[in-house]
Amino acid sequence: MSRELLLRASGLSCRFGGLTAVDRLDFVLAKGELAGLIGPNGAGKTTTFNMFTGRQKPSAGDLDFLGRGVIGLKPSRINQLGMARTFQNIRLFDELSVLENVLVGFHGRLKANFLSAILRLPGYAAEERRMYERAHELLELVGLSALSDERADSLAYGQQRLLEIARALATGPRLLLLDEPAAGMNPQETAGLARLVRDLRDRMELTILLIEHDMRFVMNLCERLTVLDHGKVIARGTPQQVQNDPAVIEAYLGAEAQAAGGEAPGA
Amino acid sequence: MDGAQLTQQIINGLTLGSLYGLIAIGYTMVYGILRLINFAHGDVLMVGCYIAWFAAVQFGLPWWVALMGSMVLTALLGVIIDQGAYRPLRRAPRISALITAIGVSFLLENLGLVIFGGRPKAFARPEVFNQIYEWGGVRVLSLSIWVPILTAVILAGLLLIIYRTRVGMAMRALSRDMVTVQLMGVDTNRIVAITFALGSALAAAGGVFWAMKYPQINPLMGILPGLKAFVAAVLGGIGNVVGAMIGGLLLGMAEILLVAWLPELAGYRDALAFVLLIGILIFKPTGIIGQELPE
Amino acid sequence: MSRRGWFQPGPLPAANTTRKRDTRLTILGCLAAAAGLYLLEGHADPYIVHMTCIAGLFAVLAVSYNLINGVTGQFSLEPNAFVACGAYVTALLTLSPDEKAASFILEPIIWPLSVISIPLLPALIIAGILTALMAFLMGFPVFRVRGDYLAIVTLGFGEVIRVVANNAQSLTNGPLGLKGIPHLTNLWWAWGLLAVTLFVIVRLVNSSYGRALKAVREDEVAAEAMGINAFWHKMLAFTLSAFFEGVAGGLLAHLITTISPSQFTFMFTFNLLIIIVVGGLGSTTGAVLAALLFTFGGEWLRAVEEPMSLFGLDIPGIPGMRMVFFSLILVGVMLFMRKGLLGRYEFSWRWLFALFRRRPAS
Repeated sequence: MSRELLLRASGLSCRFGGLTAVDRLDFVLAKGELAGLIGPNGAGKTTTFNMFTGRQKPSAGDLDFLGRGVIGLKPSRINQLGMARTFQNIRLFDELSVLENVLVGFHGRLKANFLSAILRLPGYAAEERRMYERAHELLELVGLSALSDERADSLAYGQQRLLEIARALATGPRLLLLDEPAAGMNPQETAGLARLVRDLRDRMELTILLIEHDMRFVMNLCERLTVLDHGKVIARGTPQQVQNDPAVIEAYLGAEAQAAGGEAPGA
Repeated sequence: MDGAQLTQQIINGLTLGSLYGLIAIGYTMVYGILRLINFAHGDVLMVGCYIAWFAAVQFGLPWWVALMGSMVLTALLGVIIDQGAYRPLRRAPRISALITAIGVSFLLENLGLVIFGGRPKAFARPEVFNQIYEWGGVRVLSLSIWVPILTAVILAGLLLIIYRTRVGMAMRALSRDMVTVQLMGVDTNRIVAITFALGSALAAAGGVFWAMKYPQINPLMGILPGLKAFVAAVLGGIGNVVGAMIGGLLLGMAEILLVAWLPELAGYRDALAFVLLIGILIFKPTGIIGQELPE
Repeated sequence: MSRRGWFQPGPLPAANTTRKRDTRLTILGCLAAAAGLYLLEGHADPYIVHMTCIAGLFAVLAVSYNLINGVTGQFSLEPNAFVACGAYVTALLTLSPDEKAASFILEPIIWPLSVISIPLLPALIIAGILTALMAFLMGFPVFRVRGDYLAIVTLGFGEVIRVVANNAQSLTNGPLGLKGIPHLTNLWWAWGLLAVTLFVIVRLVNSSYGRALKAVREDEVAAEAMGINAFWHKMLAFTLSAFFEGVAGGLLAHLITTISPSQFTFMFTFNLLIIIVVGGLGSTTGAVLAALLFTFGGEWLRAVEEPMSLFGLDIPGIPGMRMVFFSLILVGVMLFMRKGLLGRYEFSWRWLFALFRRRPAS
């Protein structure tokens, strides 16, 4: 495997007070990969996403995206460089329509300034037209075109997750981070999502990293998995390799035993 | 400035600071639990002053009876405001509660103007507080000595309640995590009511001393002390009772010393608190001793 | 059917024909309003004309204030400072050197201002730009915080400006304020400014920038993650609203002809707050509607302050009752009608047509 490198994290750590959420994470993503990040609750998966996207400043370590260091950049800047994400606890713009949610995604790349937007100068008008066209295409792609005028918070749970994906795609990413995209979806929706994700990678040449608890979904979809537990990588490899790794089995069973006996370590 | 003058200014600063501190505690306690800036706090103070004025001047009651009576009735007012105006909005966006608080603040001020009139009323200083002490060139009013002492007593009492009683424990728990405490079967509404009662009573005490210091009252008197006390609460780290007192003392000292050292800036005294506030938010958003600012 | 059918919260992906019709109707509406103003100017009594000017200016202020508070969701409390800034700058620029020399009794006015006097229009533009600049500089510390902290810090800034106006004798003439400002504001200035403000702000809100501002309001974290720099967008809304508030302040000064720091207390902001809350935080047309209601309704409410005679009973007037009413309205709206008159919806021609189309059917 000598594909071009997209993202490289080395020694990436995040500490909150005494708690180490992520401990010296080394991680690479090559262009065009479809990879998964799994692990029991509280393993540090979402914190890892937050560090990648600039929402959480790492306590230590380096992070390169497309060959440049991105630590300390604002989330908006990192997104403009080509990294987009969805959220585990859906964060749509509730009072905006479905279409508007997607349109917002294009704004970060808008070239026209606010004066030409107010005056509707030709440059802005052309951009706005393109945005609408692309937004409709994206809604078509995730299967929400019929709902484009509805308020975002009126959608069903699974549809909201799809809308988050469409919105993230609107920002024109090279790397897409999906945080539990299948959570709350029924089996049909999950199957549709798997097709969509594979499609995105194959046709749009996206690199995708996803966090997911639905093991069948992950095992069928991802080519490579990284397993986190208590902030540390405990296994890497193909789904088959990971599935049979004693450390992984131990981590999952241990967490379950703990959960059965009392409170699981904080999410 | 010589030593005597400095001593005098420091005593003045302590007095003013104690008053800011007393008022700031009410803000900090309510904010700690509800994450609400109780905008009406300063106006609750004003009502407390009028209650004490009626008791002392109209009914001729001794000052300490007037003070106690004012604290009790003002506590009641605080609870009524919370139950009537803030409680229905507990689950609403926080800004809605803030807008309501601004509305309540203006309501109290304008009702005050309608009922009591806009003309200031003289607030007689009781004899004990009206003595002038003199040692070696330092001239101080006995009130300036008594206010810090009484404030310390009140603060000690409050800390006893917060750290040694079940109610106090519930308050501290609530300020950490409201949902969990509710799940544990604590009547949060009762605890919030008690918080408003305590905070308002302290505001009344602070207000009555304030009125004795200046010595007059008017329906708009609560605005500026209220705003500045909020700054004091932020200065000390919002949610922290002892911090609020320290923040109050610092603000009081800073104001007095600004005027003493740079008399040509005396007119800008009322802006100092806000300049400090902006400074804190830029350089040390956690306050001097305190938790992180909420998002 | 969703409610979006008639009240349209965002830009319409409307067909070209409807858009043309709407533009024509809007132009027609503007012409009708202009005709109304013309008649008012010629025939109504000066008091009504004065109140109509005030109403126009308050509508400008409400629409601008709503841009930062309602559309962008950054609850701030400083418009009194911006209006004061605009009023003082404009007045100091238009007053004649003789007037200034006569007013500044305690300390003479500082040099460049002591000799210049320029026409209203450039003075207003300078005032708007200076106020926007003030907002821009203020934005750096202020937007480090959010929510209720933002409210209190901006309120603090308002107080600081008032204290400065009270103390900077040689610039503002201190508590005495400025007198003899020429009465230059008429219906055309006030409502013309409203037209310009509405054009700019409605166009902005309905553009990609407007969607970004609303995204920041709805969820700042998500907006940032979608490539929107929240800080600069807040700055955009804040400075733009300050610009129009400054210009409106300048026109206000040339309408009431006397200004002093005591007119620009937090009370001023409070009035604007009631307007945008009653109109529905986030609704531009709601802000205009509520501003008109507030100005004319407020005048009508003066009746409660007058002594009156009811069934032979003499009821003494209660001065100050008006403000008690306003406070009750604010609390009442928050408790019982949190979305205000229009919520976050906007008046649109489409809605009006839908309304009429429904009538015969029902």
